[in-house]
Amino acid sequence: MAIEKMALVNIVGLMDELDGALEKCCESGCFHIEPAFSSSDGAMKALNEKNEYARPLKNLSQLAVQLGVTLTETDFSACKLSSPGDFEEFFDKYDDKLSGLSKLRREKIQALSDLNGAVKQINHLRGLHSGFEKIFSCKHVSVRVGKLPTDNIPKLDYYDENFFFVPFETGKSFCWGMYFAPDADKDRVDDIFRSMYFERIRIPDFVTGDADEALCRLEEKIKENSAQLEDINGKIAVLAKDAEGELQTAFSKLRFLHDAFDLRRNAGEMNGKFYLKGFIPEKQEKRFDKLFEGFRSVSVIYLPPDADASCTPPTILKNNFLTRPFAMMVEMYGLPDYGGFNPTAFVAITYTLLFGIMFGDLGQGLVLVLGGLLLKKKLGAQASGMVTRVGLSSMVFGTLYGSFFGYEELLDPVFEKIGIDFLPLKVFKQTDFILLTAVGIGVALIVISMLINIYIGFKNKDYEKAVFGCNGIAGLVFYCSVAAGLVGTMLLDVKIMSAPFVIFLIVIPLICIFCRTPFSIAAKYKEWRLSADEEKMTVGNFIVENFFEMFEFLLSYVSNTMSFLRVGGFVLSHAGMMLVVMTLMDMCAAAAQPFVLVLGNVFVMVMEGMIVAIQIIRLEFYEIFSRFYEGGGKPFEPVGVKFSAQVE
Amino acid sequence: MLDCWSTNATVAKIRALHGNMLTKENYHEMLSRRSVPEAADYLAHSKRYKDAFKDVDPNTAHRGFLEGLLHKESFNTYIRLCRFQGLDKLPFYDFQVRKKEIECILSMINNINSELDNSYLTDLPGYVLDHSKISLLEMSRAQTYEELLKILKNTRYYKILVKIPPMADGSADYTECELRLRSEYYKDMLVAVDKDFMGEEAKELREMIYREIDSLNIINAYRMKAFFGYSAEEIKRRQIRIKEGPGRSGGLGRRLDRYYELDSPEAMTAWLDKTRYGRDGKNTDYIETKVNSAQHRYLSHVIARSVSAPVSLYAFMKLCSIEVSNIVHIIEAVRYGADPAVIENNLIIC
Repeated sequence: MAIEKMALVNIVGLMDELDGALEKCCESGCFHIEPAFSSSDGAMKALNEKNEYARPLKNLSQLAVQLGVTLTETDFSACKLSSPGDFEEFFDKYDDKLSGLSKLRREKIQALSDLNGAVKQINHLRGLHSGFEKIFSCKHVSVRVGKLPTDNIPKLDYYDENFFFVPFETGKSFCWGMYFAPDADKDRVDDIFRSMYFERIRIPDFVTGDADEALCRLEEKIKENSAQLEDINGKIAVLAKDAEGELQTAFSKLRFLHDAFDLRRNAGEMNGKFYLKGFIPEKQEKRFDKLFEGFRSVSVIYLPPDADASCTPPTILKNNFLTRPFAMMVEMYGLPDYGGFNPTAFVAITYTLLFGIMFGDLGQGLVLVLGGLLLKKKLGAQASGMVTRVGLSSMVFGTLYGSFFGYEELLDPVFEKIGIDFLPLKVFKQTDFILLTAVGIGVALIVISMLINIYIGFKNKDYEKAVFGCNGIAGLVFYCSVAAGLVGTMLLDVKIMSAPFVIFLIVIPLICIFCRTPFSIAAKYKEWRLSADEEKMTVGNFIVENFFEMFEFLLSYVSNTMSFLRVGGFVLSHAGMMLVVMTLMDMCAAAAQPFVLVLGNVFVMVMEGMIVAIQIIRLEFYEIFSRFYEGGGKPFEPVGVKFSAQVE
Repeated sequence: MLDCWSTNATVAKIRALHGNMLTKENYHEMLSRRSVPEAADYLAHSKRYKDAFKDVDPNTAHRGFLEGLLHKESFNTYIRLCRFQGLDKLPFYDFQVRKKEIECILSMINNINSELDNSYLTDLPGYVLDHSKISLLEMSRAQTYEELLKILKNTRYYKILVKIPPMADGSADYTECELRLRSEYYKDMLVAVDKDFMGEEAKELREMIYREIDSLNIINAYRMKAFFGYSAEEIKRRQIRIKEGPGRSGGLGRRLDRYYELDSPEAMTAWLDKTRYGRDGKNTDYIETKVNSAQHRYLSHVIARSVSAPVSLYAFMKLCSIEVSNIVHIIEAVRYGADPAVIENNLIIC
């Protein structure tokens, strides 16, 4: 379980074979492309041509929308269209037929929108029992229909003008109605109403009769227009049915060509030749070579992954069947550097172990295993794999606790028969043991994390990290000595905190941590400097800075260790919640008991399961990863064309 | 004890509302809108104003109507807060209604003086009618100052305005009316504070009122000096002056006399920069922005720390009025295509 070995690949060929080479790169599914011009000496040019397939792609996408065709990925091997012009022709063929129908449809939709708008307005004037045409045909009186802010209604009586307002419907914000004014005073009255924010409503010419009649007539018109719209939609649907097959293959091919053309941006050009650069897994070299055999001018050159300083090799985690699902957690935190340490196995073991301890129940674990297996398709391979593994762990620890769906005594006879008297573990009777074990597990995991950090430090020749750091040898000696001292003094009553013990195993490591930077510089460069930077650091600054850092380190030793108490806490909480379920079940009538048992178990599994899963992620990321892991790696993203119906 | 609890409920409600107020980022987003309907639509989708704009079509609503709606929402918030636990039984809580009444009376006097037809009715905020103790609509019938006094006969404003003699043409000295109405308003407020509240609560309220008076005086004095060239004596005569009795302090009081006596507007700004109304303030040429930004900072702080309902309510209503003025400013800027960066710099925010 390490990190996949990579090879740097340079592909060179004549410009006319660039598109073909890019297609082969996509086909390989293992080529992580890097911009070829980034390492150039300036002579290499980037290819920034305009994508000629962009316009036809947009057109076909719009055509699909107008025809109501949902675009999906389709096999396009039989599609003969290839140049942008071919696709434009294809578009024109259907667009000519569709544009007339679309225009008619737009007109009908607009007409329906106007009619519905008129219905909405006239609904507010339902109290009107005179015909609109009669009102609007008055010779000497002007009429305005609209809405007036309700707050302004009381003001109307105080205007010394010749008008009257007829309200029809008064809402919280607006009053709908109409005002009448003599033609001679029309302008003045209009001004008054405008100053009171009267919003005029234009009643369409075709609205006649009183409000009720007008509404009936409008409903008829809406029906008529809806029928016509349906007819047009039917014709469009027939056209869509005819075009769908061809449209799907054409769009899929066009999408591929468009996206493959976009990849040209990563290529460099010099003296009529193209240059492509990227990484492939070392084991794929032969297969990759074969793909380029048919080219006349293309040559593929393999180099060590660190041969080009301008690009960093990507990281692929190499995991086995058991640990692979837990790679998800590592990716979530950040991938390790290429050549770094792959912590997936460590995460897999610790996560499974901690989950089992915190969520130990034979029955519930079994449900998780079955759920993981059955929901593989829905959850995805990684999540279902994780659920299955933690479920198994839960079953193992559930057996040790003697817990089966909350029944804590069900497994007692089994252990009695086998003759194991210290099992099952009675959670509420052995609280101290559980909590101390939880802290013990925490100490062990922290020590292992420090050992991993020391290994990584030596591997990278980083002595500050490996020897003098708070998670290096000095930190490990200090932490183990303090832990041993406390256990010996407080639990075993052995006085091991003697003066030499304190001086050599506690004070000297602390001094090493305090002076980790100058010590590591001295070890590496054989010179004495307080800071690795070029700038000089004063002794005062050095002491102040390191004093606070030391304080933080010491605090983190204590808080990280105590954080593992939650492992014990959740053992108790799980048992406590199941006890509540059982008590509730006992309080219910016999017929309701199975329901309470099932519901209680489901509730505990969902809630407790989620909390435990999240808490372990927290322990992994904060207490364990922070001691040795730096997720600065680059993910391996093989180049390819993914189908997408969306067009920008 | 129960009273104490009820106060806490109102304070909590005010803090929640304060949390919904528009932020600097909101103003920035609003300023990036290209038209008034777009700006109105932004408000209609904001948590703070979505209820007020529920029935409004942003595409057809007039700019003036939108501004009125903002003022109405602010006033309605005040009414809801007062009614929430029956606080409006105390005279102090009338402060917002009284402010509106004074604005209406002044609008009417202006209407009489300028002989503008119907402008009073047009500007009259309809939402105040149900809450005012004076007949604001009846006032619109007055043709002269004397007729207005007759309509106001049995109100508290009569005693104040009757001392100002009407002019031969039926008008009245607007500045004098404004000064007297505002001075009496603040005097009454301070009396109500002394009567209804005590201890820290009364002290905080007094401090807020004195600061409000100071802000008004500072801005007015600057305008008089910068735009009308008034002398120190003339400025002093037109300032709101409230006697600060024992235990009654909080404003700059007599110290402001030195500010009025300064020779130039630049000297006034420099003097102001040394006081709490200009120190650490915004770097702007507009005195209103500078002073009100200081007020905004102070009032936000008051809301954050105060546990008293009247204190929080008074501060919150002042902040609401600042918010409305900012929005109105933005809507105008959007309407007339002003430079958003300049407008943003002149918004009253802390």
